[in-house]
Amino acid sequence: MIEVFTLAFLMLVSVASVVAAYLAIRERDMVKAIVFSAIQSAMYALIFYVLMAPDIVLVYIPVSVGITPAVLLFVTKKTERYDGD
Amino acid sequence: MKASEVFVLISIIVFIFSLAYITSLGGLGQLPPVNVRVLAQRYLELTWNPLKPFMSSSGYESVTAIVWDFRGLDTFFETAVFYGAIIAAIAIYRGVKITGKGKTIGMSPIARTITRLSIVLIPTVAASIALHGHLTPGGGFQAGSVATVVAVLIIMVFGRKAIIRKGLTKSRILLLRSLGLLGIGFTAVALLLAAIALGVNAYIFQNQPKPFAPLGFPKIYDGMILGGSLLLFNFFEFIAVTAGFTLVLLLLSLDEKDVRRVVVEK
Repeated sequence: MIEVFTLAFLMLVSVASVVAAYLAIRERDMVKAIVFSAIQSAMYALIFYVLMAPDIVLVYIPVSVGITPAVLLFVTKKTERYDGD
Repeated sequence: MKASEVFVLISIIVFIFSLAYITSLGGLGQLPPVNVRVLAQRYLELTWNPLKPFMSSSGYESVTAIVWDFRGLDTFFETAVFYGAIIAAIAIYRGVKITGKGKTIGMSPIARTITRLSIVLIPTVAASIALHGHLTPGGGFQAGSVATVVAVLIIMVFGRKAIIRKGLTKSRILLLRSLGLLGIGFTAVALLLAAIALGVNAYIFQNQPKPFAPLGFPKIYDGMILGGSLLLFNFFEFIAVTAGFTLVLLLLSLDEKDVRRVVVEK
């Protein structure tokens, strides 16, 4: 029974990550796209946690939710915020 | 969201699930075994095994034991690659002056107050991840990336100049990073140097005593598990990773005008 719940949770989280990835690609505003990308990474962190990889979670959360968006925001500031046609 | 967008999204999800189903049926070759594999069993057995002292590592945490003891040389070269990548970043920005002078434009008082509280808490968490890395999940790289979030917050909320005004200049961060890598290198050869002085045999990346190599890092002190070289490696990696990431963020946050003046025009 627990296995079924775990698998169902994993499925939900992975579907949510696909939705976040799609929104990140579709979004014209780079800042919003970075936020969607961070949401996708947070979903991946949840998957790693459920799959019993706490070491990966500990490095994945700060890198994917903290450092990568920060680097991307700095880069966005140096280029253009809105993606043209 | 338009209907067409929902349709695209649903077809992506259906595609991913069908791919996962085909993979789980073995369509992409043989599936890995479900049970714990022999290599994993060996690692789990030998991570902390007082009955086999010559083969076991010195901490409870298998991942840290694998990363810094069983396969320590891999991690050393990984750290060296990370070090080289940051040297490349510094080389691109060479000649750009980083000063703390001038006015800083930070965020609102609410953001500032919350950040002031959290920049005390985050290093505490990072230190516990690094110094308990041989007992609980965690380690040097994990702790370093957690601690870097402090630098991200300070740069974002108080401005880049706040970091420099607090005394963390580029050269000091570089010094910290080099000290971290030197520490890792020194820990790797410390027993070898001691063995040469004492006239006995030892290996590079040796943690615990081995047959015909009697030296070893302290495993237990006063009933407390020290973790031997794992603790030292985690600590130095923590310093090196924190300083490296902070330096890159500091360089990336520089004003485009100043960088362009030096990098392009000279």
